[in-house]
Amino acid sequence: MEQILSQQNIAEKIALNFQNQVVFFPVRHHSPVCSYQLRKTIEAYQPEIILIEGPENANDLISVLTDEKTVLPCAIYYFYKDKKKYISEDAEDYHCYYPFLNASPEFTAMKEAKKLNIPAKFMDLPYSEILINSQKHQQNYADDSYLVKSRFYQKLCEKTNLRNFDEFWEKYFEIAGLRLSPEDFIRQMYTYCILTRQDATKEELDSDGCTAREQHMAFRIQETMQNYQKILVVTGGFHSWGLSELLKSKVKPVKLHKFTEDIQNCYPIAYSYQASDALRGYASGMMHPYFYDKISEALETADTPEGIYHQQALDFLTKTAKESAKKDIAVSISDITSAYSLTEGLSALRNSPEPGIFEIFDGVTGAFIKGEKTTASSLPLEILSKLATGEAVGHIGDKNHVPPLISDFESQCKKFRLKANTAVPQDSEISLFTSGKELEKSRFFHRMDFLQTEFCKMTKGPDLHANKDRSRVRELWRYCRNPQTDASLVDHTTDGSTLEEACKTVASKLIHQEHRCEITAQVSVDCFLMGITLSDADTFLMEQILANDGDFFSLGNGLYYFDMLHALRILYDFTDTANLKYMEQCFTKLIALLPSMGAVQPEQAQECIKICKLLYNVSGRVFPERQNEFKSALLTLAERDQKEPSVYGAVMGLLYALDGNYLQSAENAMQGYLTGSPAMKKQGASYLKGLFETARDIALMDKNFLAMTDSLLSDMEYDDFMEILPSLRLAYSYFTPFEIQEIAGEVSEFHGLKEDLSAQTGLDEALIAFGAELDAEIFRIIRGETA
Amino acid sequence: MEQNFIKPPVEVRYADQLAFLQNADSQNRKPENWKLSPKSVRLFILGGKAVNPDTGETMDINRKFYGNDALVERCIITLAGNRGLMLVGEPGTAKTMLSELFSAAICGKSTNTVQGTAGTTEDMIKYSWNYALLLSKGPCREALVPAPLLIGMEEGIFARFEEITRTPAEIQDSLISVMSDQILNIPELGDDGLILAKAGFNIIGTANTRDKGVNEMSGALKRRFNFETVAPVRDVKLEKEIIIREAVDLAKNGSIECEVNQDVAELLAVTYHELREGITAEGTMIDKPAAVMSTAEAVSVYYQTLCHAWYYGDGRIELPVLTENLLGAVCKENRDDLEKLKGYFRTAIKAKSTKMGGIWKAYFETASFLK
Repeated sequence: MEQILSQQNIAEKIALNFQNQVVFFPVRHHSPVCSYQLRKTIEAYQPEIILIEGPENANDLISVLTDEKTVLPCAIYYFYKDKKKYISEDAEDYHCYYPFLNASPEFTAMKEAKKLNIPAKFMDLPYSEILINSQKHQQNYADDSYLVKSRFYQKLCEKTNLRNFDEFWEKYFEIAGLRLSPEDFIRQMYTYCILTRQDATKEELDSDGCTAREQHMAFRIQETMQNYQKILVVTGGFHSWGLSELLKSKVKPVKLHKFTEDIQNCYPIAYSYQASDALRGYASGMMHPYFYDKISEALETADTPEGIYHQQALDFLTKTAKESAKKDIAVSISDITSAYSLTEGLSALRNSPEPGIFEIFDGVTGAFIKGEKTTASSLPLEILSKLATGEAVGHIGDKNHVPPLISDFESQCKKFRLKANTAVPQDSEISLFTSGKELEKSRFFHRMDFLQTEFCKMTKGPDLHANKDRSRVRELWRYCRNPQTDASLVDHTTDGSTLEEACKTVASKLIHQEHRCEITAQVSVDCFLMGITLSDADTFLMEQILANDGDFFSLGNGLYYFDMLHALRILYDFTDTANLKYMEQCFTKLIALLPSMGAVQPEQAQECIKICKLLYNVSGRVFPERQNEFKSALLTLAERDQKEPSVYGAVMGLLYALDGNYLQSAENAMQGYLTGSPAMKKQGASYLKGLFETARDIALMDKNFLAMTDSLLSDMEYDDFMEILPSLRLAYSYFTPFEIQEIAGEVSEFHGLKEDLSAQTGLDEALIAFGAELDAEIFRIIRGETA
Repeated sequence: MEQNFIKPPVEVRYADQLAFLQNADSQNRKPENWKLSPKSVRLFILGGKAVNPDTGETMDINRKFYGNDALVERCIITLAGNRGLMLVGEPGTAKTMLSELFSAAICGKSTNTVQGTAGTTEDMIKYSWNYALLLSKGPCREALVPAPLLIGMEEGIFARFEEITRTPAEIQDSLISVMSDQILNIPELGDDGLILAKAGFNIIGTANTRDKGVNEMSGALKRRFNFETVAPVRDVKLEKEIIIREAVDLAKNGSIECEVNQDVAELLAVTYHELREGITAEGTMIDKPAAVMSTAEAVSVYYQTLCHAWYYGDGRIELPVLTENLLGAVCKENRDDLEKLKGYFRTAIKAKSTKMGGIWKAYFETASFLK
């Protein structure tokens, strides 16, 4: 393998001489050895400028990333909104991240340039142009996929008995590469990358935008060559050969489009190790980024690279043992020693000068797992994996470049003492009504949730949207800052400079998109939970939506939410009175629509009854002065010819509840069903169901009513009775057991029975014992036994 | 001579390879008393081209263990250290073979073995006495009958302990002091009774995960071992290769000159793989039999069928015989396994016979032999 990588003739395809005007430094993204050798190359070459692979529209952010107060991992977040449909007819929004870790050679290049006081620039196409010039769209374009997926590497792994590309890379580049001179290392990278590139076809390079990107980068290099004599070009290893070939002739520029900042922009954001782990879907990174960051950190301060992997192996084994002990897995010093000697022995067996992360995993597998390797017993491996991946989240130091929303988010996290610098999920419990600050914290979480930042999720607490657990006085939130949080906040940058403003704008946008009262009412619930008052213009728009919505059910559901919010306003310290206005508007419209609901379809009857009951409640509690209007609407409905029986029953019940004089009308209606055709008789059960739902006391107060019901059931054919039985059962489910017993008593009297039909006295214990004895005696006689 | 044994020890079977590797090992570092360096042991087990750097001679070493190469490497390094090696896993996953390979390659002797059973006693592990000599001469070295542990310690070689969890726990624990102090005390011999382990001594244990809980190892003993779990072969293609290779070896040893049928080997490999995993290649969920569905079992079924063809047939494998042998291998302890096997034929094999025809169709037609 070493022979292949050190082949001079392949590497010579790219000119390497530290006296040349241009030197290409090939990298694998986030590779410590590349960073280490890059530092040595910069020292040897002393460049006047460093050009780095990365969209050039982020050049202003280089100083932010290299700011002393910035803590990595951080990323540049790019977005592009394809409103002009350059990419597709769908006019979609696109975004991507370019992460930077301490081990990233690109970051090392920027940092070293700052130290030497020379310029460092990104030279790749702006993000929008990469998208426009490619057919495949990725989450990241600092991409090592060509290095990883090539058939060449697969053959290499087979030949070298290595499990995968990462093990191959670690052995032959990360560890062995530390012992090479910068020139030899660069040549080795050239050889590998040139051999890898031979697998890629022109079509592949065209379709993923590689051709256009390299053309643009080469153009920028040629442009720079006019002003600088020593240019260091830092790109993914895959591009080095392509660029050097292009530079042999004059390169034409790629045509660039002009976009405003709201269409295309980029921001620095905090990033996490977890997000940059190649194992977790980030195709461009190294697996176990924290481990390699620690290696990079050690390389920066050490005089010699010798022994650094040995030291890290010991550190990680010790940490794994400590963390395992916390989870009640006994790992002794002897186990650590054994695991360490296993890592050392394996690296020697595998011809590697020092043990890498794969040997550490092997060490833990061999020495820490006692017994059969199962999911449960493999916990030490899981712990090591977590440790090597890292949990920290970065921080942008230069606040002037932090998007205002992220700034507001961070200050609120600080205010509420929430941990925003770890990728480990945290829990926060809020006692909603104990203090104003607690309520504020709840509103902060609801705002972050509303903006879909994936920062938090309520695991317990009142759910006003679903009308569940409303009696709870505590909320339990699980939260965790992740790159998606920052990215979402950046996406909302144009919505406002504070979370409150952004939420208000998003709520307003939602209202503008809606035409149904019930959906806008849900937005009102969100605003209520977030403690946000809509602008006058939005309030007016809400009123218009309500006025234009002619759907009884949408308005009914809307009224339900507005009523709930109005009732809870004092508890939640919500001063906005708009909900009362919306309620009144819904109420008015519902009363107007109510008479026409008599002919509602049976499947909607229950929903209709629910709204009728709500109207009754609201008219009693909130609008007593409008009760007559409600009553008159009910009467109009009752007088219609076509009526769904259960709705009719419910309406009669409500009329009786509003005015006791309507008892006779309810009875008459029941009589009508009794004396009607067999089909009408069957509808009587539905009528009863509706009636009992709104006025069940009618059955308890009025004997006449019970007599009629009894008559209805007694006159019915058996099959008809069986048909209506489910409805009847449902109707009587509104009564308590005691009430059913009362009713049963009354009914038994109609049939001349004195005993309560529903209640039977228990059998005498002595009688049962006597019966058993008698049975035994009979069996004995049958069997011919004598006593 | 070799042909007269049913199964010659590994060191005899691969004597030429071991000798070549030993000669070619001059430039590699090796632990004291090891016959081969760790690198050569790896090459011997995982195969490759061996080159003698002194003479330039080469030899192709065949792969003897298929599966996890990193596991083999970890085992070698463990054996070079101060902990024992415990190989655990399902029956038929080549744990014993692996332990024999290690012993043969490292010590040149794979037969220094204790077979763990419920009746294994401490003297079967450590030492016993020749009572006639003991009575006539008293406790002396001459009267001592060394058992594998003592032999291993004195010669600086491995003692293999097969099926350790079938041995009573208190007998297992007799290893603890030896593994900790590398000393065995024979009080009857007085001052001469202190046996110190020579460099190169170690213990390789094997334990069957199906025996878990029979005689669970104590924590103290576990701490003195590094554990490696040997998993069944998950790759059907590889399983087919193993079946063919092993069947050819067995046939050669048994002087059976039938030709190996690749299609039948594949059929058997697929059957065992799917029944073991509980899912067919087409994604249909099937019931897993309770019986052990190891590659070793598949090899045994294949070899039995081959024997049948040689002695009773025209030398060609007959599928009904294969199915009958499969039935015998699968339905051993649990009657439900027969229904599971029938169900597998009704669903998976039927589907394959419809889709692929040929040998699969013929295989499906043998389902009537499942009773």
